[in-house]
Amino acid sequence: MATNGRRNVPEDDEDFIDVDDSSLQTNQANYAWEEEYKRSWDVLQEDEHGSLAGVVNSLQQAAKRKRLLRDTDPIQRGIIRHLFIVIDLSGAMQEKDLRPSRLSLTFTYLEAFIAEFFDQNPISQIGLIGTKDGLAEKLSDLSGNPTDHIRALKLKKFQELNGEPSLQNALELARSSLIHVPAHGSREILVIMGSLTTTDPGNIHDTIAQLVKDNIRASVIALAAEVQVLKFLTLQTKGTFGVAMNEGHYRDLLFEVIPPTAVTTTKAASNLVQMGFPSRSNESAATLCACHNRLTLGGYICPRCNSKLCDIPTECDICTLTLVSSPLLARSYHHLFPVENFVEVAWKDATSTTACFSCQKSFPNPHKISPQLQATTDAGRYQCKLCDKTFCADCDLFIHDVLHNCPGCLSRPRKQGGMTPSLTQAARLPSSKLGKTS
Amino acid sequence: MKDHSTTEDDSNLLVIVIDTNPFEWEHSSAPIKLNDALQHILTFMNAHLAGRHDNKLAVIASHVGVSQFLYPTLNDHILGSTQQTEKDANVYQNFKVVNDAVLSGIRGLLEDHRPTLEEKDLGSSKIAASLSLGLCYINQALKLDGMGHVKPRILVLTVSPDSSSDYIPIMNCIFSAQKANIPIDVCKIWGEDAVFLQQAAHITEGIYMRPSDPAGLLQVLMFSFLPDMFSRNYLYLPGQDQVDFRAACFCHKKIVDIGYVCSVCLSIFCSFSPVCSTCRTKFAFQPLLSQARRLGARTAASNPGSPKTSTPGTPVGTPTNLTSSATMAISTPSQ
Repeated sequence: MATNGRRNVPEDDEDFIDVDDSSLQTNQANYAWEEEYKRSWDVLQEDEHGSLAGVVNSLQQAAKRKRLLRDTDPIQRGIIRHLFIVIDLSGAMQEKDLRPSRLSLTFTYLEAFIAEFFDQNPISQIGLIGTKDGLAEKLSDLSGNPTDHIRALKLKKFQELNGEPSLQNALELARSSLIHVPAHGSREILVIMGSLTTTDPGNIHDTIAQLVKDNIRASVIALAAEVQVLKFLTLQTKGTFGVAMNEGHYRDLLFEVIPPTAVTTTKAASNLVQMGFPSRSNESAATLCACHNRLTLGGYICPRCNSKLCDIPTECDICTLTLVSSPLLARSYHHLFPVENFVEVAWKDATSTTACFSCQKSFPNPHKISPQLQATTDAGRYQCKLCDKTFCADCDLFIHDVLHNCPGCLSRPRKQGGMTPSLTQAARLPSSKLGKTS
Repeated sequence: MKDHSTTEDDSNLLVIVIDTNPFEWEHSSAPIKLNDALQHILTFMNAHLAGRHDNKLAVIASHVGVSQFLYPTLNDHILGSTQQTEKDANVYQNFKVVNDAVLSGIRGLLEDHRPTLEEKDLGSSKIAASLSLGLCYINQALKLDGMGHVKPRILVLTVSPDSSSDYIPIMNCIFSAQKANIPIDVCKIWGEDAVFLQQAAHITEGIYMRPSDPAGLLQVLMFSFLPDMFSRNYLYLPGQDQVDFRAACFCHKKIVDIGYVCSVCLSIFCSFSPVCSTCRTKFAFQPLLSQARRLGARTAASNPGSPKTSTPGTPVGTPTNLTSSATMAISTPSQ
């Protein structure tokens, strides 16, 4: 199954992703509604020696292949993002082609999405908009606090589905909030659409033109089928368009939105942003906080207006100063200095290494594996081109997805072979001062 | 505070990072010699292994210029049973294996990697590399376990000062440890507080300690760092005074309450400056900003072809022309 060619997914920021054309043919995945019944055991087939190792290996390969396509060029990325998620709450979301139903799957994924989004974009903000009965309604306002949004998702009244969605109303609502955000942050809209129709009060093309003018990028995930107006919207605003084929693909499409997008050269956005670094205070008597008007015993004091806020990162409710802490800024650094992709080592070159550099797991010995098997599997070794150390598939994934450090590049004498580009960059940052405390 | 995910039956995986920076250990003012400290550390390792039959241990050396596993090493996997023929009737075999591996590993390091004086200036030991190795090892161990039975933690025994170039890698390690719920305990055996590692312990809810008398290292290790994740629920362990996360500006090292942050590279400055000294991005002047934006919007509206010609997905460039592209971005609206 894993023998078909490498999936040719465009870079994460290409004009749009046409799922129907590019990946459906090569990926051999079916739409969820085309599937009659799942036969998961068919996926695992023993090879001629009766072992499952080869299949497991190729499954790993498949996962790996997906990741390989990530671009690692150090580029400017819009790290401060403002994203509105438009959720279709029309009757079409009741469909059960995505299990358990479109709506409950969406809400489950969104919860995970919000947590992951704030993990990777700590100084960004999200807002939620729902649309039904031809109207659009804010489920939660633009804010950097994940719990607000997750709480909003859990409210029962927002889960009632009714009528038709209104794309135009939802886009206008998002636009009216987004045009007020400062220019240094990106303005994005993500539309999750289950319906094939929309009820609009006016001409949607006017709204789309307005979005383009205001530099708002709209991406769409359609749950049913490709709709021309949605695709047109993403084309015009340089967003991505995808049709979720099944549960897994839906999740992939959604999570592709998480890494910050590259900054376009057309946007004159770079600027110094004023931010406050509040210190935590503990009080003996409870006082009201500015954000929830609740009595609390401690919080962060805004350095500009001295109001008390419950948690950072946030924007001061009184004086709108962005409040952060230095580790939060550091959390975004890995987007600026990504780890180089590792290259696969062929069987014939696999003799020099016996174990993964980072986890000490032994590699399969090429002398003990028959040439037939070698033809269908790969050597399980992935090499960093900068430090020549080899890693196993698990570590490769872990290093690129979670850790964002190459242990090999870090643990060699700095004199030999020079530093990695990311380290050169890092060295240029006078980072000893960053986050240093008194 | 009580962590309900732990139970008495957990197997504890302890990854110890030992800083073997010879420049610090051989320093004339060092209050404890490496040899003595190693005796303490070995006893501590044995105590950890003795705690439960399935407790696991990994030891990583963070040397000047190189970081490597001391235990388990590759040789243990391959030669394993055949090599360790030598037995000592007075020592529990498992202890002996670990002790021998660690001692011979450190001996090898000290002999093979004699850092030159130039390297001393280049920075201290490779704590970030060791933490990365440790996290990869833990990741693999958790994967093999699959039952949530293994509870990992990392202990860093360090003597070196922070190396500023390690800031980003260490922060990356801290955040992945935090994500995976792995506490990083830090014992700064002597010297100045290690600020990065202090943050590591704070963010990952580990223990940070600087013993008052390094000669009594074993006591500190046994009482503060030996308790496993389950027993920590019931103990009152040394805490940190509130770690101050206020930032210091890049330009004057001054601690700032309100700072200016570059929207491209996130460097912090205490006052407005027209060019970012870190990534050399040129900023729009504050008073001109709104005007420039309006101008930019007008040019974009009147000349819709020009902004669309550049695809947003194309990488803007390598770090070297990162600056030039930023300059371009600024100069566009003023044209």
